[in-house]
Amino acid sequence: MMKQAIIPALLLAVGVLIPLLIGENPYITGILITVLMMATLASAWNILGGYAGQYSFGHAAYFGAGAYTTMIILSVSDTNPLVAMAAGVVVAGLIALVTGAIVFRLRGHYFGLASIAVAEIVRLVVLNLEFTGGAQGILLTDVKFYGLDLNSKNPFYYGMLIALVLTLGITALVRRSRTGYYLQAIREDQDAAASLGINLAYHKNKALLISASLTSVVGSLYAVYIRFIDTHAVLDLRLSIEIILTAIIGGVGTLWGPLFGAMLLVPLAEILRSNVLGEALVTHGMVPESSPVGMFLKEHLAHAHVLVYGIITVLCILYLPKGILGLFRRSGK
Amino acid sequence: MLFLQSLISGLLTGGVYALAGIGMSLVFGVMNVSNFAHGDLMMLGMYMAYFVFTLLHIDPYISLVLVMPAAFVFGYGLEKMFINRVIHHPHQNQILLTIGLGLIMSNTALLAFTSDPRILTTSYSSSSFNILRDVSVSVPLLLSFMITCVITATLYLFLGKSRTGMALRATSQNREAAQLMGINVSRMSAIAFGIGTALAATAGALIAPTYYIHPLAGHSFLLKSFTICVLGGLGSVVGATVGGLIIGVIEAMSSTYISTDWKDVVVFVLFLAVLLFRPQGLFGKKGGQ
Repeated sequence: MMKQAIIPALLLAVGVLIPLLIGENPYITGILITVLMMATLASAWNILGGYAGQYSFGHAAYFGAGAYTTMIILSVSDTNPLVAMAAGVVVAGLIALVTGAIVFRLRGHYFGLASIAVAEIVRLVVLNLEFTGGAQGILLTDVKFYGLDLNSKNPFYYGMLIALVLTLGITALVRRSRTGYYLQAIREDQDAAASLGINLAYHKNKALLISASLTSVVGSLYAVYIRFIDTHAVLDLRLSIEIILTAIIGGVGTLWGPLFGAMLLVPLAEILRSNVLGEALVTHGMVPESSPVGMFLKEHLAHAHVLVYGIITVLCILYLPKGILGLFRRSGK
Repeated sequence: MLFLQSLISGLLTGGVYALAGIGMSLVFGVMNVSNFAHGDLMMLGMYMAYFVFTLLHIDPYISLVLVMPAAFVFGYGLEKMFINRVIHHPHQNQILLTIGLGLIMSNTALLAFTSDPRILTTSYSSSSFNILRDVSVSVPLLLSFMITCVITATLYLFLGKSRTGMALRATSQNREAAQLMGINVSRMSAIAFGIGTALAATAGALIAPTYYIHPLAGHSFLLKSFTICVLGGLGSVVGATVGGLIIGVIEAMSSTYISTDWKDVVVFVLFLAVLLFRPQGLFGKKGGQ
């Protein structure tokens, strides 16, 4: 028990100390916040997708529910952001209940398809309504939280860290609980699980509710952090896919996999987006800047990160379907 | 009159949707794979028609003679290289693999063709004629619909009468039994995916003269194709044909009577309603879910 707790405690200590070590560096802190955010989102998704085996392709709906509810409440009143966050959880929970009622009667292909349809309906409704800001989105000019300086990124770093610790803690609790074993039984063989008296719909819904609530909390944090949201940023299918991808690359159905996935993918995306790679090739003289290749890299490499995501997904499914952590597992399992 | 107008334009567009739906349904039936790259294959068809038109000055409808075989070969190769390796994997891996392939296609298109939408303007792009006093029929839509009918009829004949067609249907009904009867099922999968790709690209080429051509255009067609398949029953070719027409009409009706902004919502709500009340689809066999 003691031995098991050492590594998480060390990781947590590193997590807490990092902002003190790097000082006020908004750029690096921003990347770290994104790492923590994707890790939390992928971990929350993992409770449903990894442990219960129910691959949701629509988790952006819960992220967006948290983000939009929080922003709408904060833009019309001076409510405590924590209350707005709780309201977001309630909205996400309601969407999850409706989704669960429809999709958990279905299996295989149908579940994935239905989860996309629900998320797309949420996106289009938000896009077409008045009070959600429509295509313009919502901008929040000022927000107060117990006198914290919210122009600094550090409060959000710690906020995301708390969300991640909470999510990993809940995952650790769930997987060793009765519910956790039920979920894993459902993942391995639904019919066998049902024949042993496990209430499939009840436990799948429970996993979805936990997963959706945590996702919504991250959505609220993100909204207050960026202070601007629109459907493209928080409700897009692309976000749902990035969440799954992060979990898959790290290792689905493992406690630490999603964190590993985020630590790998987010910096990679950032390197591509900021075009560090293209500039390095040019400055080291490997590609002359004025050549057609150099021009092409300079202009387009920044847009190529989704392409690289696609390539990684294909390679990962073909050669590494159990993720990076799957490599280190005993081969018998 | 408004009603008749929406009905006619809905049916004409629905025919093209049906073509994309049939392609997806065939792949699903034979391979039991949900192809999430289907919309992007359609997008490739749009660009193929566009470039054949602008570079070779060949009419988009005649360009099908080039687009269809090219797309078939592309799909056949795609199946042999990628899809075929996950055919016995869990559904989620197949979905993710095809999503990955779709992302590669759409983002390569984004790099190669930029995000500026392109418009394919033919001499008859905006021409139409009146059949009744206020009911007009768009010429490009009517042409697309007629070509769709010919292709669908040919496909029915092919599936019903030819040896390969029968082998495809046998594989779709029971893969193992088909294999025991000496059918090369992995070749059938590649052929099915090739035909599916060809149909998607054809639908893309047919819709190109009346639509914005954009690297991310596939996204909305993907979800539409799924709705069509689920409505008709996953794997049913007849179902997909009817499903496509229904979706076309519903879309046109909701644009007319509700608003263009909400037409996709109506389609998705219908999709969920079908899953909820008749998951086997209108023409699917019971127990398929």
